[in-house]
Amino acid sequence: MMFRLLVLAPLLALTATSPGAAPAAQSQGVRVIEIVAERFEFWPSRVIVAHGEEVELRVRSFDTIHGFRIIGGGANLVVPKRGKGYATARFTGTVPGRYTFECNRMCGAGHNFMRGELIVRAAAGTVGR
Amino acid sequence: MISPSATCPVRVVLAVVVAGMLVLTGTARAQQADPDAGVTGPLSGYMDFHFNKADGEDGIVDFHRFVLLLSHSFSSRIRFVGEIEIEHAFVEGLEESGELELEQAYLDFLITRAVNVRAGMVLMPVGIINERHEPPVFNGVERPFVDTVIIPTTWFDAGVGIHGEVGRGLRYRAYVTAPLNSLEFTAEEGIRGGLQKGSNSNVRNIALTGRAEYLGIRYLTLGASVWSGESSFATPRLDVSATVGEMDARYRRDRLELRGEFAQVSIGDAARLNDSIGRLTGVSPNLATALRGYYGEAAYRIWNAGSPRDLVVFFRYENFDTQFRMPAGFQPLKQFDRDAWVSGVTYYPDPDIAVKADYIYLRNQSGVFANRHLVNVGLGWWF
Repeated sequence: MMFRLLVLAPLLALTATSPGAAPAAQSQGVRVIEIVAERFEFWPSRVIVAHGEEVELRVRSFDTIHGFRIIGGGANLVVPKRGKGYATARFTGTVPGRYTFECNRMCGAGHNFMRGELIVRAAAGTVGR
Repeated sequence: MISPSATCPVRVVLAVVVAGMLVLTGTARAQQADPDAGVTGPLSGYMDFHFNKADGEDGIVDFHRFVLLLSHSFSSRIRFVGEIEIEHAFVEGLEESGELELEQAYLDFLITRAVNVRAGMVLMPVGIINERHEPPVFNGVERPFVDTVIIPTTWFDAGVGIHGEVGRGLRYRAYVTAPLNSLEFTAEEGIRGGLQKGSNSNVRNIALTGRAEYLGIRYLTLGASVWSGESSFATPRLDVSATVGEMDARYRRDRLELRGEFAQVSIGDAARLNDSIGRLTGVSPNLATALRGYYGEAAYRIWNAGSPRDLVVFFRYENFDTQFRMPAGFQPLKQFDRDAWVSGVTYYPDPDIAVKADYIYLRNQSGVFANRHLVNVGLGWWF
């Protein structure tokens, strides 16, 4: 048993951290939203999530290493360079409102333009931020 | 003494702990020791150097640009970005020997997605290249002629304005900046000589500039820019209002990338400006009332396996005329009515490093001045 664990542990670690690892089908039923980062923009730059919905954000770079941070939303990722896979984060729209996401890794003189918006649509009767 | 029945759970716990430590160790290793991850230090920047050879002339090697970028966040909402550039590797006080320029140095006050404030030394938001001029983001060793002769990249000056994004991908920038000095306009390079570059810039009059970009359609970016300013502070009896209008589009899908740009410059009171400069210098500059340029480029990623197996071939046609429309009484100098056929390759050993080579056939309409054949090789990087 010990031997099996010793063999499996590094494999598990690589699987968990490889940015280009193949995603599970439908990511366990969670909606996957693909975002492309490129100096100096995100596409799409506006993402809409339903109140209470959990989504998987899959961020891929077309050029250099970028950051991806949702202000007030928890995610803080390093997006690998073009061709090196992608970074993922789970986000659940628990509080309705507008969240800014941005590149938080200096990527050039237009870095401050790299911002987008994640909107959590309120269901009737809910209170937002 | 531990009984055999008690030993088993202990071994299991030990095994799980060891395995957990291995998992953590493996995670750390994968994140920190990945040789492809890249590292950014406290400075960033871009550089490029070129080999240029024109037919009938000696080849030259030029470390064209060495640019350092500095940034600082006073807070998450107040940020500084600065860019210092050394051109041609050597500064002697005259531009012909090199330039040391403060191309950007601004504060961004990030307020909302829709409205943010920028103040300081800013890039004019005109055209495809002026704000994104780093070597890996365009094909060709040198920047497009239209983005050099018609739009005078890198075009910067002191200013203040707003920028933001509204709706589904509509971005804008709008700045108030210093105008141009029309006394420095030339027939060959248009308004380029008139840049004040934030160096004791005269603001007897101001200039307004803005750009709108629509990114709401996947794979497509549409842009339009305008710059307009009364630029006759050095000749106050004239009314030299200069206006630059520009439209561009970029489309990229899979291996294919297309881009096109159209730009036109109009210069008011050009006839009297020619007379004024002629009286000052003894030579009429033969300035036009309108300058025009456009280009189309197609690029295809023939090797698309990710760096270092990443190779793009491209072809670009450019047409640019700094004597497009002349004031009454002036004849156009047809050697400045030019077009260029540019073809080449860009190889990316890394997404931030571009090894470039191109061939340019540069024609003019004079019938007197020879057309030119140019071969360029360049290496540029951005970090």
